[in-house]
Amino acid sequence: MTDSSEIATEWRTPTPASRMRLLGWVARRVGGGAFVLWMVATVIFFALRLIPGDPIDAILGGPGSQASAEAVAQIRSDYGLDQPLIVQYFLAMSKLAVADFGTSYALKVAVAPYVLTQLWSTLVLTIASLVVAWAFALALTLATSGRGRAAHSVGSGLELLAAAVPHFWLASLLIILLSNTLHWLPPISVPGPLGLVLPVLTLALPLTGFLGQIMRESLSNAYEQPFVLSARARGESEWGVRFRHVLRHAALPGISLSGWAFGSLLSGAVVVETIFARPGLGRTLLSAVTIRDIPVVTAVALLSALIFILMTIATDAIDRIVDPRMKGVNAQ
Amino acid sequence: MSAPRIILTPLALAASAALVLAGCTATTEPALEPVSGGTLVYATGDAEPGCLDPHVGGNYPQALISTQYIESLVSQNSDGEIIPWLATEWTPSDDGLTWDFTLRDDVTFTDGTPFDAEAVKANIEHLKDPNTASSTGYLAVGKIDTIEAVEPNHVRFTLSAPDSALLESLSQPWVGIQSPTALERDQAANCENPVGTGPFVVAEWVKQQSITLERNENYNSAPEDAEHTGVALLDSLTWRFIPDAATRYAALQSGDVDVIDNAQPNNISSATSDPAIEELNAPRPGASNRIELNSGKAPFDDELVREAFIRAVDVSPGIESLFFGTAERSYSVLSSVEPAGTSAPDAFTTDPEAAKTLLDDAGWDTIDSDGYRTKDGERLSLVFPISTNQSIPAEQSLFEQIQASAKDVGFEVTLQPTDLSSWYGALFTNEYNLVSAPYTKVGADVLRILYHSDSIIPAPSGYYANLAQLSDPKLDQILTDASQTSDEAERQSLYAEAQSIIVDGFYVLPLYDQQNHYLYNTSVEGFRALPTVSAPTFYDAWLNN
Amino acid sequence: MTEILAGRLSHAPGAAPGVRGWRRILSNAGVIIALGILALILTAALAPQLITSAQPDAVSPAEAFQTPSGTHFFGTDESGRDVYTRVVFGAGNSLLIGIAATVVGLGLALVLGLLGGLGSRLGDFVSTRIVEVMFALPGLLLALVFIAITGPGVVTSTVAVGLSTAPGYARIIRSQLRSVRNAGYVEAATVLGHSRLRITLQHILPGALAPIFVLGTLGVGQAIVWASSLGFLGLGVAPPAAEWGAMLSSGRTYIDVAWWLTVFPGLAIVATAGSFTVLGRALNARARQEVGG
Repeated sequence: MTDSSEIATEWRTPTPASRMRLLGWVARRVGGGAFVLWMVATVIFFALRLIPGDPIDAILGGPGSQASAEAVAQIRSDYGLDQPLIVQYFLAMSKLAVADFGTSYALKVAVAPYVLTQLWSTLVLTIASLVVAWAFALALTLATSGRGRAAHSVGSGLELLAAAVPHFWLASLLIILLSNTLHWLPPISVPGPLGLVLPVLTLALPLTGFLGQIMRESLSNAYEQPFVLSARARGESEWGVRFRHVLRHAALPGISLSGWAFGSLLSGAVVVETIFARPGLGRTLLSAVTIRDIPVVTAVALLSALIFILMTIATDAIDRIVDPRMKGVNAQ
Repeated sequence: MSAPRIILTPLALAASAALVLAGCTATTEPALEPVSGGTLVYATGDAEPGCLDPHVGGNYPQALISTQYIESLVSQNSDGEIIPWLATEWTPSDDGLTWDFTLRDDVTFTDGTPFDAEAVKANIEHLKDPNTASSTGYLAVGKIDTIEAVEPNHVRFTLSAPDSALLESLSQPWVGIQSPTALERDQAANCENPVGTGPFVVAEWVKQQSITLERNENYNSAPEDAEHTGVALLDSLTWRFIPDAATRYAALQSGDVDVIDNAQPNNISSATSDPAIEELNAPRPGASNRIELNSGKAPFDDELVREAFIRAVDVSPGIESLFFGTAERSYSVLSSVEPAGTSAPDAFTTDPEAAKTLLDDAGWDTIDSDGYRTKDGERLSLVFPISTNQSIPAEQSLFEQIQASAKDVGFEVTLQPTDLSSWYGALFTNEYNLVSAPYTKVGADVLRILYHSDSIIPAPSGYYANLAQLSDPKLDQILTDASQTSDEAERQSLYAEAQSIIVDGFYVLPLYDQQNHYLYNTSVEGFRALPTVSAPTFYDAWLNN
Repeated sequence: MTEILAGRLSHAPGAAPGVRGWRRILSNAGVIIALGILALILTAALAPQLITSAQPDAVSPAEAFQTPSGTHFFGTDESGRDVYTRVVFGAGNSLLIGIAATVVGLGLALVLGLLGGLGSRLGDFVSTRIVEVMFALPGLLLALVFIAITGPGVVTSTVAVGLSTAPGYARIIRSQLRSVRNAGYVEAATVLGHSRLRITLQHILPGALAPIFVLGTLGVGQAIVWASSLGFLGLGVAPPAAEWGAMLSSGRTYIDVAWWLTVFPGLAIVATAGSFTVLGRALNARARQEVGG
């Protein structure tokens, strides 16, 4: 993390040279991203085949199948499962390269559209959770930092607790409190905004804890910087100082954290989607791994890797824009 | 004048009170008039089916939903008798190898195709076709060799061997009759929205979320034990998937859902004090929920050790407390809804001291430092894979209690909770000593599937049903005879004998019926479980709001 | 993630707190509470018999679902087992998995980070790619697939959680190494003519690896929460072993009749994870203060 004490606020006008550098940067990131995707696909391919059990069980609708020997042999050849492993690998990679994700073993539907619908549901959940977490963290941090030890301890303590709470426990507590006792919200995910509240709260609160801790740290550092003193000397109000000068510095590490947070939200979504009966990528992944539905697992893994890569590129780009000192520095 | 008035007044009061009371009792419970309309929301805890066509594969989640839109040739009433449904009459030949069925001639599939003998033929052939990959239905029609459409309303089956369980097999949802036009589509299309003759039609399937079923406006084929005739009362059904039990019950309490299945024991218990929720207890047919002892390998290849295990574990107190009294202890291999089931409480008495003596007699007489018995340096170890998909938490806790009481006698029981695929994996590779595998089938013929030695031979997928690995030629003969005789009394006595052999050999420890409790909102009227496999039917259901 | 929690790390060598540092750490009330909790948890893990006399798998169906009382501080569960005892014995499992997973993650990260920070350009390229791939794979997927391959258990949980946390640590170690390499005193040592090996061992490694202690402390808390999530999904230790996540999971089923089955194991997780975080942040803050970073 870079020291945020000297952030300049000027913008440099783009020159042809800097444009070329930017282009080069983008090309390198995209190339790197493609490489990572390929490696992820390879790791998944071999890892899934290490799982004990015959992949054909998922296709037959479950391991308890009575399918005859001819049916089994037919299916095996239809799906190319009787080829040597290295041949299967090349076939699989070439299909993925043209974005052909095949058919789900268990659900017999095209994987790509199916996974994309699940993705939408999870995206709504994770983005909403991220936004809510940001809002809560900002509010908590701005309200309790720079105001003395007591407020700082309270805020810090709350953040600490929030970050240490497991999702599934929080979900149970929220359901008991807000649904069973107060009857304010439905305990399952119903269509519409009401059904989103509990799932989002469950994911957002622990994230608020993390974000809050980071922001608090950056914020208190930023307060000690000379430019704050000069702003105050110029007669800026407390809130003016907070919002116009200090906020940007508090937000910087939060931005890079969001990239990581998104990935962890996807993992947290599994628990939330299971408990609140919400369709989504997390639940899909869990059941696909359980029944060994290889095409679906592969698609979900690649999709989340892609999202992660895009988010990383995006956050790095935002970092470069917000903090011009990063341009030209060899990104770590 | 005052004296008669004084006498009259109390009399009058009494008389009028009596009149009022009579009037009250006459009007407290007016006959409820079913109301048409509305959408009922059903939340299942079972897995979402991969395919809505019950011919493909054939598991219980499929049966639950296909009961709403696909019907079978025959059904069963609550007394266990086979009653007509899509078929009105049936006549087996004397040698039992030919069956003639008379079919209804006024039924149409919801896509307009008429229901006739050709349709039945297409369906049985679909079941037997390897490309369908049918498991349950395939087994059910296993003995049907040829199907002949003699006339549009007359179909004839020719069997390879007499099958006394044919009608019971045909009553199951996995052998339901679908439109032959629909069956001709590719499998993916037919899995999305199969076409049947049932009271509802599959309208939309949003994967991982819900399935919408709409009323079949041309429905006319209700079985004779239904409460009304004509179309269904509800406009539509919403079928939701809520795998988490606590959430499912919470959804019922909050009114977001009207009916739930797989109700957990503690929820059933709390529901008894909740005036807004009612319970329907519908045990599944076939086998009871039991623990099988793998007699195919050590140490349970020794009958003394099997008996010792059964004497050592006392499951009744655990069942009582873990299931809050909602599950009754079973001492039968078969479900309590099977007429041919026999119960043998005396065979399953608990006696830890006797267990210890039996183990001593069997040669397991040395005890090592951890308290487990050993013989020739080998520890008395039992592996117990548990499928977390099939065993509810209360059952898993019961297994933990069994583990503890077995330890007191010297058995080392290792519990392995795993997912379904890994569980099957352990079974296929014979890496188990104890297992609890439910099996749902209509009729006592399930004994043949579970305990005939042919069932130890794995299918091409690796699956085999005889997990106790019971191989007894005498039992084999009894089961084969029972499946071929058409004399009902002889069938009953053969099955009784079969159960005796299984119980006396200590191959099985019965626990309770396959639990199948539905909880529903009191506003739901007319909801019942079809007596065949105890799947819910909403044909007579209506919402009393 | 823990890199972020750690905030800015000390870049100077010998960054473990000195004597005055320790005293300053202990003066914070929050830290004292955290240390107290951790001491309790440690006792529970290493010598449970000191704080409870019952056995965690003492099944007693007649005593099932008893509310918390004088005899059963946390009540009893569905099989009549004392919840307090199970929470105490569960500390051992949870702590073991948490610490072991952090060690595994740090160990793996060390290899990758050293390769990236000290090695040639090729080594850096390879290790950065590996880290990127590990980052891109969702942690849960890694865990699920790994557990599907090897079957659930303590070792599997440990490795699964360790694998998920390794890339984060690796990035920190690598960036630490790179920045220390360019530091002034290293330049000075090179000018003085010290051998590369000596420079590496005496200056670079201690400077870069000093924050590991802090990272590990912070990480253990998160690893415990992670492991309990796996236990919740049924992928943890086998029954009848007591493990907080699994206890929470089975307790959820009975939440309407026995709230104590979920509340107490949950509190244990929060208290432990929170205490580790408090301790880690205190160590980090004091270490930075001491060096004036």
